[in-house]
Amino acid sequence: MHISDGLLPAPVAISGYAITGFATWYSLRQINRQSEPTQGIPKASLLTAAFFVASSIHIPFPPTSLHLILNGLLGVVLGYYAFPAILVGLFFQAVMLGHGGISTLGLNALIIGIPALFVHHLFSWRSFIERYFNKRVTTGIFAFLAGALGVALTVILFFGLVVSTLGTGEYADSESVAILGLVISHIPLMILEGIFTTFVVLFLQQAKPQLLENNG
Amino acid sequence: MADKFALDKYADKDSLIHSWHPKCKIIGISLLIFSFAFIQDISLIPVMLGITFIFYSISKLPLSFLVSRLRYPGLFLLGMIILLPFTRGENIIWQWSFLKLREEGTLLVLVIISRFFSIFTMGLVMFGTAPFMTTIQSMRQLGLSRVIADMLILSYRYIYQIFVDFSQMQQAMKVRGYTTKKQSNPKYNISLFRHISVLAAVTASLLLQSYEQSERVYAAMRLRGYGDLTTSIIKPNTIDDKQTKNTSLSLLGLFGTVIIAVSLFFWQVI
Repeated sequence: MHISDGLLPAPVAISGYAITGFATWYSLRQINRQSEPTQGIPKASLLTAAFFVASSIHIPFPPTSLHLILNGLLGVVLGYYAFPAILVGLFFQAVMLGHGGISTLGLNALIIGIPALFVHHLFSWRSFIERYFNKRVTTGIFAFLAGALGVALTVILFFGLVVSTLGTGEYADSESVAILGLVISHIPLMILEGIFTTFVVLFLQQAKPQLLENNG
Repeated sequence: MADKFALDKYADKDSLIHSWHPKCKIIGISLLIFSFAFIQDISLIPVMLGITFIFYSISKLPLSFLVSRLRYPGLFLLGMIILLPFTRGENIIWQWSFLKLREEGTLLVLVIISRFFSIFTMGLVMFGTAPFMTTIQSMRQLGLSRVIADMLILSYRYIYQIFVDFSQMQQAMKVRGYTTKKQSNPKYNISLFRHISVLAAVTASLLLQSYEQSERVYAAMRLRGYGDLTTSIIKPNTIDDKQTKNTSLSLLGLFGTVIIAVSLFFWQVI
């Protein structure tokens, strides 16, 4: 789910950098408001490295295998650090593996990072619901929504951006059908990532609940 | 795959690009990268590829360094653009049954592939010809946020180690009989739900290990004075003498790349 170098015109890539600059500024501003902002840096850095490695996991889904995005999980675990962490992770993917690109780093950070921030806010709302329902079940449901919505928003942003930028007016109808078709074809990935995020979050809640609570 | 994480393994080579001051190199090559991204005219493709070839040759980076990294994105890009020559445009240049190869789509694919190759190669020249710490220090001096710079350094430092931990976990799973491949005997195949459960447990363990290690790292950093927003893990100066002595040559190189980048931009616009 990455936009490669050279795929989109430069003005679009530069706009991506501008909006990513704003999103990064917003995230860093929220981080700096914390009582000990530097405390989260080693945690976010090592978890970024762990997510970078974990993103190589493929889940068998006959006849193929699916590659996880993990932005929902990043939002849940890292909070406002998720956006800088995604930026750093995407930078390494671009320069080390050629996955994504340097010129499109801003765009990729947007399509993966904005859903992570959204999911962070969504997951933090679980504390209100937990007062009335079972804590584990509530966390599981919110974790599923976080994982699935993280992918869903990324898919919509990705295909919306690529097809609308590469396409022209005369193909507008067929492009709309193509976008819809591609979004629908990603529904299994959304469900899979939702289940995966639920398992990971419930595991962490049992073993190290601080990882889910001190996330800015 | 672990070898791919070593981005600066050829940073100690001796070439003009290696002795180019990192700040000038980052500005110059970044400008070239964005001027390449502007290219849409097919006649500029040989110029762009030529510039890329010259830079990579001067950098003395081995061809294998580039080729090993091109394999994966090559396949990814192939998947992304395989349909364009058959769906975009009206001028048909080749037809077989219902398959129609169209001129506009083919040219667009050629431009996309060339831009991708040139930008990716220039990125390797930028980050592969200086120690990673030096590059990040220069980016910090050019205005990169302290938090992002620290995260880049720390993540880069631990990626290899975490990858080794992950490989050991995978090895342990294999020893216990876990595989994602389909077995000939159906009774040994596990359900998709079970696969997700196992892989989620591995991911959670990896996150736990990293979190616990980050607490030890933070404690060690605090002992060395890290703890407020004015301190950084980046050392004051890691740029070697060779690079500082070549200031005039570095500025000349920067001037040259700015001229090339601006010329490409105006050639494209006009």
